[in-house]
Amino acid sequence: MELKRRMNWDVPKRLVITVIMLAFAIIMVIPFIWMLTTSLKTPTEVFEYPIKWLPAHPTWDHHVKVWTGAKSFGTYYLNSLKIAVIGTVGATFISAFAAYGFSRIEFKGRNALFMVYLSMMMIPPQVLFVPKFIMFEWAGIYNTHWALILPGFFTIFGVFMIRQFFLSIPHEISESAFIDGAGHFRIFLRLILPLAKPALATLAIIDFSWQWNDYENALVFLIDERLYTVPLGLQNFILENMIDYNGMMAAASAGIVPMILVFIIGQRFIIQGLTNSAVKG
Amino acid sequence: MRNNWMRRQRLLGYVFIGPSMLGILLFFLIPAAYSFYLMFTNYKFMSPNVDFVGFDNINRLLHDDLFYKSLKNTIVFLLAVPVSVALGFLVAVVLNEKIYLKKLLRGLYFMPYITSGVAVAFVWMLLFQPKQGPINGLLRSIGIDNPPGWLSTTTSSMYAIDIIWVWFMLGYNMIIYLAALQEVSPELMEAAKIDGARRSQVLRKIIWPLVSPTTFLLLVTGLIMSIKTFGIIQAITQGGPGNSTTILSLYVYQNAFRYYDMGYASTISWALFVIILIITAVQWIGQKKWVHY
Repeated sequence: MELKRRMNWDVPKRLVITVIMLAFAIIMVIPFIWMLTTSLKTPTEVFEYPIKWLPAHPTWDHHVKVWTGAKSFGTYYLNSLKIAVIGTVGATFISAFAAYGFSRIEFKGRNALFMVYLSMMMIPPQVLFVPKFIMFEWAGIYNTHWALILPGFFTIFGVFMIRQFFLSIPHEISESAFIDGAGHFRIFLRLILPLAKPALATLAIIDFSWQWNDYENALVFLIDERLYTVPLGLQNFILENMIDYNGMMAAASAGIVPMILVFIIGQRFIIQGLTNSAVKG
Repeated sequence: MRNNWMRRQRLLGYVFIGPSMLGILLFFLIPAAYSFYLMFTNYKFMSPNVDFVGFDNINRLLHDDLFYKSLKNTIVFLLAVPVSVALGFLVAVVLNEKIYLKKLLRGLYFMPYITSGVAVAFVWMLLFQPKQGPINGLLRSIGIDNPPGWLSTTTSSMYAIDIIWVWFMLGYNMIIYLAALQEVSPELMEAAKIDGARRSQVLRKIIWPLVSPTTFLLLVTGLIMSIKTFGIIQAITQGGPGNSTTILSLYVYQNAFRYYDMGYASTISWALFVIILIITAVQWIGQKKWVHY
């Protein structure tokens, strides 16, 4: 079998296909490479053609500009980190709790409630923006980070994804503990949560990336520049520096590079999580 | 005694879903109901009187040229979805073969999806720069003297957005297809080859039908996901030039937070909901009809 496969798909052919796929893959990531090199170039080099992939006189000035001064990206980073970290931790635990209820306890109305959950996925966020704006204004959390953190705690996708994982844990495991007199809280905390660590990590990484990248909610609910998250700060920087292309790309790098790092570290979890919730869903 | 305990344990179900349910109520159900009510009012931000106007907003919507234009733009925008699904399939099929550097390649194709957001949109804005941008630089160097104006002309701007969107979605579709291809039994594919079926035929007659549930799922989720998006468009064109990239979701945002015409914005947002409802209904019916299991 193995031998036959090799004969079908011999080494030179494998090499050629690999090179072709690599060429296309490089086209996919060229915008990132261009962004990084441009951020290190001098203004006159930006649109030189043919493109110089290595700047002749690399300079960090544009990055310095982005990270210092009155509107330093440091503030935006702290704001984004605060919102994304608190939001992610909250979302992960609340989703895990709900997912346990929806998958391992049989109570009245469970399936009907779950249908309500799923149907909420059909409501576009645009329907919710105006009423949330009015409600947040009334509650005094409009133009505060809470306007992003509190709604961020509740993710239907998260409940759905963790529930999928809990359903795959054999019932016998909790049944015997149940007979021994352990209640649902103990089973959840001592037995199920430790088993679910990979699923929780997956949700946490995906949710973090969503919250970090979230531009639309921040756009609607924040007006105070000091409260801006990275995407809003980036937009602000670009509106104020419309002709400083190098600075724009240095600012864009500040927004993108952390996500690339998160992706490199958590690639396995991200891919696993997205695949599981899509294919088995 | 034991029975009582069992019953209490079952009631714990409500405690477990309680926090989440509260959030769904506060941030989904109540706002949705509120928005439905707003659809029948002339609510404007900062204006003190709110009147019930019945079906005025809906009438206005049906006679609003800009609504139809943004509907049309939305459809052009959604063209990116089938294209990115098809490309995702092709990439997945090749990556599923015995080639080198699989993991690296998978990561590179997937990268745009994780770095979504405005940052990437601004990079594309410069890449697409019509006079000096690198994309048109490349096109000129291969002999195209009049390359498109991309984001700067009313006729090409929506397609330029489509290119960005295909680029963004491709990796996600690829990842899901790769998982689906794992389920196709290798014996089946070996057998097909022994039977002398050519590679392209194996692809068309065996693999493509076998992954059709995945194709369907990706199309539907891709359409729904895309129709809810407006961030990248707001960031780089704000719907311009001349409303040529105003899609429905962006039109809602503009009415609500640029013109503060919130009653009308709510009305448009429910039109968006109706479209999602139709896509979902097609999914329910179509799943049985077109998908080969």
